[in-house]
Amino acid sequence: MPLTGFLGIQYDFQWSVLWTGEHGQWLVQGIWTTLRLSTLGWVLASLLGILSGALRTVPFKPLRVLATAYVEFFRNVPLLVWLFFWYFGAPQVLPRPAQDWLNVHGPEFWSAVVGLSVYHGARMSEVIRAGIQSIPKTLLEASVATGLSVGQAYRLIIIPVALRLIIPPATNESLNLLKNSSLALTIGVAELTFMTRQIETYTAKAFEALTAGTLIYLVLCLGIASIMGQVERYFRIPGLIARVGRAEH
Amino acid sequence: MRRVLSVVAVAVVVLGLAVTGWAAESTLEKINRTGVFTVGTRTASPPFGYINKQNEWVGFAIDLAQLVHKGLEKKLGKPIKFEKKESTPATRIPLLSSGAVDLIAGTMTDTRPRRDSLDFSLTFFVTGAQFLVKEGSPIRGIQDIAGKRVSAQQGSTNERIIRERVPQAQLVLFPDQAAAFTALVQGRVDTYTNDGIQLAGLKVKAPNPAEWKIVGDFYSYEPYGMAMRKNDSDFRAVVNNALMEAIEGGEYFKLYDKWFGPKGELPYPMTDDVKSFLMFQVVPK
Amino acid sequence: MSFDWGTVANNWKFLIIQGLLGFGAFGGGTLRLAIPAIVLGFILGVIIGLCRLAHRPWIHYPAVLYVEFFRGVPLVLVIFWFWFLIPQITGQRLPEYTVALTAFVVFEAAYLGEIVRAGIQSVPRGQIDAATAGGLSYGQMMVHVILPQAIRNMMPSLVTQFIVLFKDTSLASIIGMMDLTKAAQTVSQREIRPFEMYLFIAVVYWIFTYSMSRFSQWLEVRMSPERAPTRRAALREAARAAAA
Repeated sequence: MPLTGFLGIQYDFQWSVLWTGEHGQWLVQGIWTTLRLSTLGWVLASLLGILSGALRTVPFKPLRVLATAYVEFFRNVPLLVWLFFWYFGAPQVLPRPAQDWLNVHGPEFWSAVVGLSVYHGARMSEVIRAGIQSIPKTLLEASVATGLSVGQAYRLIIIPVALRLIIPPATNESLNLLKNSSLALTIGVAELTFMTRQIETYTAKAFEALTAGTLIYLVLCLGIASIMGQVERYFRIPGLIARVGRAEH
Repeated sequence: MRRVLSVVAVAVVVLGLAVTGWAAESTLEKINRTGVFTVGTRTASPPFGYINKQNEWVGFAIDLAQLVHKGLEKKLGKPIKFEKKESTPATRIPLLSSGAVDLIAGTMTDTRPRRDSLDFSLTFFVTGAQFLVKEGSPIRGIQDIAGKRVSAQQGSTNERIIRERVPQAQLVLFPDQAAAFTALVQGRVDTYTNDGIQLAGLKVKAPNPAEWKIVGDFYSYEPYGMAMRKNDSDFRAVVNNALMEAIEGGEYFKLYDKWFGPKGELPYPMTDDVKSFLMFQVVPK
Repeated sequence: MSFDWGTVANNWKFLIIQGLLGFGAFGGGTLRLAIPAIVLGFILGVIIGLCRLAHRPWIHYPAVLYVEFFRGVPLVLVIFWFWFLIPQITGQRLPEYTVALTAFVVFEAAYLGEIVRAGIQSVPRGQIDAATAGGLSYGQMMVHVILPQAIRNMMPSLVTQFIVLFKDTSLASIIGMMDLTKAAQTVSQREIRPFEMYLFIAVVYWIFTYSMSRFSQWLEVRMSPERAPTRRAALREAARAAAA
C-alpha cells in the first residue's frame, strides 16, 4: 500500500477483520452496549441534573447547600476514579443479599451507569443552573403573583423555559457523556472502545480496529450535534436575549 | 523539561521520518544505538513481576531479564541501561511490534499461532491453566463453569480457550490481573481463570490465603517463554545463550529457589520432569 | 463490612510522592504530567484558535477539521492511537509519560482553541482598528493588545478546562503510567482495600480541583476590579469622589 511504503512501516492492511469471523459481531455488540450505557446514563443524569440545578436556585438555603454539596463533591473527582469506586468499592457497604443480587445482574454495566449518571448529573446541574439563572427573576415573581406555589412555578414555567435555553451546552454535556462511556472498559464493560481493543488482541490489526472505533464515535457525535442544532433552532424563544452559550466542559 | 522537549522532538521526528522513510533495523542495532534495553513485564503477577509491599517492582521474570541484560552488555561491549515497562496480555504484542519494548519477560505463553507474529526464547517455566475460587465454591474445574461468571484478562490464552471450549460460560474481561482478581474477591464473578502458577502467586500474597482454592486439572499447557520481534536471530541468540548459561551454571536454579523455594515468596517445588526438560534445552557449547 | 484505614496510612507516601508528584522508580506522576500538559496545551490552543479565525482558507479549514475531529472522539481512543502509532512511526521506545503528554496536548488543544477563539472574538473590534491605526503589525497587535484582553475575558473558561485536563490525567493510568490513580490501583489490588484507596485519592483530587476553581474565582475578581467591585474598592471610589 502506498502509505506504508511512504512511511517505511511494515503493515499489512486487512479491513475484513472488522466484519468477518467471530469478531465481525463484536463491533456491533460494542456499539449497542455503548448506546445502552449512554442512554440510561443520560436519562438518569438529566433527572439528577434538573433536580439539583433547580435546587441550587430556590430561595431556601438548606436545599441549596445540599445540592451544591452534591455538585461540588462529584464534579471535582475524575470519572475514572468514580468508576473504580462504584464498581470495586461501594458495593462493599451494601448488605450481603443486595451484593449477591447485584453480582448476578451485570454489576459492571450497572456500576458504570451509576458512575456516569452521578458524575454527569453534577455537570448537567451546572448547565441547568446557568440556564435558570439567565431567566429574569421577574418571571418567577409573576408566576407566584398569579397564585402558583414556588414549586409549581418551577415545574410548570421556569424549568421548561430553561430547558429550551440550554440546548447547546446541554448537547455538549450529553456528548461528553457518550464519549466518557468509553471509560467503562476499565471495569469490564464490553462497550465500543473495549471491542476495538478486543479485535486488536485477536487479530493484531490495531490500525483497522482503531479506525473503525474512531469513525463510529465521530459519526455518533457529529450526527447528534447537528440534529440538536436543528432542534435548538426549532425551539428557540424569540425575544429572550439571554441565550446561554458556551458550555462548561 | 527534557520530557517536554522530547514531545517537540517527537513531532519533528515524525515529520522527518515521514519524508525520509525508516529503515528497519535489528533489535541489537537498536539497543546499541539507543543504549537502552527495555523489557515489558507484569506489575500484578507475583512472583513473576509485581509490586511488593515496599512498593518495589520485582519478580522472577525480571531477574531472568536482568541475566539477559548482562549478556547484552557483554555482547555489545558497553554499558546498557535496563528499563522496565508494564505489559499486560492485551498490550504486550503491540508494545513489542511497535518497538516500545525489546523483550517481553513476564507470563507469556509460547503458542504456535503466536509464533506467526513473534519469536520466543527457550521455555523458562512450565504451568497450565486452572481456576481460582473462594473456599466453599462448588466449582471443581472446567466442567463446572458453564453458566457461571468467569473473569479473565483481555488478550490472554485463557480467555480464548474458554470462549472456544465453554461458550456458555459468562466471560467478564478486564484489562489486567489486578482488576480481574479484585472482581473475584468482591464476589462479582464466581471464578477467575489464569495459569496455575499465577493463581498460586495471588493466593499466597492475598491478605487471607486460606480463603482461596485453586481447582481443576490443567485445562491447557502453558509454557512460558520470553517474546521478541520476529526474524531477529542475533538478539534471540543472546537471549537464549543467557538463559542456557543460567541453567547450566546454576544461576537459574538459584533464582528459582529465591522465588519458588521453601523460603521463597511462593513455595512451588520443581518436579524432576521439569528439571530434566530445562536441562535438555541447553544445547552444547 | 469493616474498613482498614491502615492501608492508607501505610501507603500514602507511595501514593502521594510517586503517584501525585512523580518522584520515584516508576516515573510518571499526576502533577508532572498535568503541568506541562496545561502549558503546552494552552500554547497549541492559542495557535489553533488563531488559525480558526484566519481568513485564508488553507489555514482556516484544517483548524476547523482539527477541532471537530478531536471533539468528536473519546480521549481514551486518542491515547490508544498515540500509544500505538508513535513507536511505529518513530521507531523509538517512548515512556508512557511522553505518549500520554502528547495525546493530552493534542486533544486538549482542540477544546482550548475554542475557548481562545471565543475570547478573541469577545474583544471589541475597535481594538483591532485602533491598533492597526497606531501602526502595530499583526504580531504586535496580537501580543500587546488583543491576547491580553482576550485572556482576561476567557480566564474562567480556561481554568475550567485546565481543571478538566487535570482530571483527565487519570486516564494515563490505562496505558500504565504510574499516576495517582494507577498507584491506588496497585496498592488496592495487593491489599484488597478498594473503598479506602479510591476514597483517599478522590479526596486528593478534590483538594486540587476545588482549589483550582477557587483560584479561578479569585483571579476573576483580581483581573477586573471594575467588574466585581469589592467593598474596599467602593469605599476607595467614594473617598476619591469626596476629595475631588
